[in-house]
Amino acid sequence: MMLLKIAWRNIWRSKLRSSVVLLAIASGMVGGLFSSAWMNGMANQRVRNDFDIETAHIQFHNPQFADNFDVRKTISNTDSKLRELKNIEGVEYVTSRIKSQAMAATANKNSGVTIVGVNPKTEKEVFKLYTKINEGDGDFFETKKRNSIVISKALAKDLKVKLKSKIILTFQDYNGEITGAAFKVIGIFKTQNSQWDKTTVFVKDADLRKVLDLPTDLSHEIDIVITDFNIAGETSKILQDKFPDILSEDWTEIKPYLSFISEYMDIMMGVFMLIILLALGFGIVNTMLMVILERTRELGMLMAIGMSKSRIFKMIMLETVLLSLLGAIIGEIISMLLINYYGSVGINIASMSEGLESVGYAATSYPALEFYKYIEITGLVLITGVLASIYPSFKALQLNPVEAIRTI
Amino acid sequence: MSIIKVKNLTKTYHDTEVPVHAVNGVNLEFKKGEFSAIVGPSGSGKTTLLNMIGGLEHPSSGMVEVNGTDMFELSSSALIEFRLMNIGFVFQAYNLIPVLTAKENVEFIMQLQNKDKKQMNERTISLLESVGLGDRLNSRPNQLSGGQQQRVAVARALASKPMFVLADEPTANLDSKATMQLLEIMEVLNREENITFIFATHDQRVVDKAHRVITIDDGKIISDESVSK
Ligand SMILES: Nc1ncnc2c1ncn2[C@@H]1O[C@H](COP(=O)(O)OP(=O)(O)O)[C@@H](O)[C@H]1O
Ligand SMILES: [Mg+2]
Repeated sequence: MMLLKIAWRNIWRSKLRSSVVLLAIASGMVGGLFSSAWMNGMANQRVRNDFDIETAHIQFHNPQFADNFDVRKTISNTDSKLRELKNIEGVEYVTSRIKSQAMAATANKNSGVTIVGVNPKTEKEVFKLYTKINEGDGDFFETKKRNSIVISKALAKDLKVKLKSKIILTFQDYNGEITGAAFKVIGIFKTQNSQWDKTTVFVKDADLRKVLDLPTDLSHEIDIVITDFNIAGETSKILQDKFPDILSEDWTEIKPYLSFISEYMDIMMGVFMLIILLALGFGIVNTMLMVILERTRELGMLMAIGMSKSRIFKMIMLETVLLSLLGAIIGEIISMLLINYYGSVGINIASMSEGLESVGYAATSYPALEFYKYIEITGLVLITGVLASIYPSFKALQLNPVEAIRTI
Repeated sequence: MSIIKVKNLTKTYHDTEVPVHAVNGVNLEFKKGEFSAIVGPSGSGKTTLLNMIGGLEHPSSGMVEVNGTDMFELSSSALIEFRLMNIGFVFQAYNLIPVLTAKENVEFIMQLQNKDKKQMNERTISLLESVGLGDRLNSRPNQLSGGQQQRVAVARALASKPMFVLADEPTANLDSKATMQLLEIMEVLNREENITFIFATHDQRVVDKAHRVITIDDGKIISDESVSK
């Protein structure tokens, strides 16, 4: 207890030096934590955006559908499957889709697209694309009108169409014959992923089914949202066993790079923090060596009057660890405030936004860091402090009390 | 009964071009309750001798026996423990831990000895009162005068209930008044509580108070006289 008291008070003996060290540790923490939170926020948003717009948490397909988007590779008994799924614990929302590759053409342009035929009511429970339609850009199938289509701003620009323009879609029907139909643009969306935007269009299930000549109860995809996306993998396996005729995949399988993004961010953050901690560690070692040099006589006196080596070691170590920990806590509080603030207002990097959006990141990102990360970092700083104190403490032990005292 | 026996003690420093015989064949004994001064000019070997008696420095040859224990036979950590339990130290300066108050400085050594907390508190206060600092318990060293600091050091040296107290030039940095005060306090402690003090000094005022004066020159004892008071 006394050692702790001495260690703590010793920190404040050289206020300037300790403040500089604390500032260095704190700014290292803020730099590390804030940029991690920023990257993490971007990654989270990217992942969540893909859930909301593209993948949901789990998808069913005909096992052969993925190979070449063959219209004939369908899921059978769609309705009973949907009903059954809804009764499974942990499954929140389900919807089915039909899909086809097509050529979208207007008077002056054409472009290859994937048509997605949706059931608007359940589609809106699973996917949030309807929120990506701005005021004045129409809506997501609020009308009962037949053969309406929702396309992206990017595609509209490419095809030079506006709301109410007609687009001709040409594709192969269920019987292998080339067919086509005119669709009227009723909604224009814009997501963060402009690449995906350009190649995806939405029509109503019923309209597409008719031109495809696809029998009822057959579909190409079932999309599932579960309560906790983190257990999508396990849930998907369970569903696979229940429905052996289809292929069930979770979001990490549908888009392997999504989980890769999360892992990559973790690794990046780890490396980044390691570099910061290493720099701090050396700074701390240096400071403590200076401290010991300054206190040579005092340490000599303590050894002379009978303070054991292990206690001297402990005293220096405590001081180092307390100093590091204090710096870390200050840094973490500042980081937490910054992250929470920017986490709610967002950081807008308008100048870079075009480049980022083309690869699916939002221009405005919301830094976020899970609480356990702070604890983890505190632990790492603690370890750094202990490691950084070993050499200075060891140096202190090598002092010869007599020489230390004699130099008067 | 001698509590300290010094036999054929020598210390030669070889780190200079010519070897320095700082202490050269010293034989001495100290009894419980003595109030002795080792006197001699600067460089005569007082500090070296006192440091060896205190187990701070190893001799080149000879031995120091404290209460039957040959100190230099002990391992280095056992020697530290031995000093803690048996010897009180008062140095010329840098005696106190600057971040602790007078009271905490005195308590500190008892904590090192793992003494009982309540007992420690009472003893600390009575010791600081006996050195005239009952009203400065919570002052830090830098808030105390040089003389007051040395008195805290005396209280600290006594707190561990040592067999004897070694004081190397304890008055060197003090003015006359503070020197007299400090000496009187130590004299009283010696007289009333039979505390053994050994000084190394070239301060005549200290010599005047001593009951035994050991004169050293060139590392050799040249006289050893008891003074009746
Ligand atoms: N660490 C050392 N290395 C070399 N010579 C030393 C050392 N310590 C003391 N001496 C020498 O030993 C002699 C006695 O020193 P010291 O015991 O300090 O004398 P005093 O305390 O009487 O002034 C002096 O000549 C001093 O220079
Ligand atoms: Mg000396």
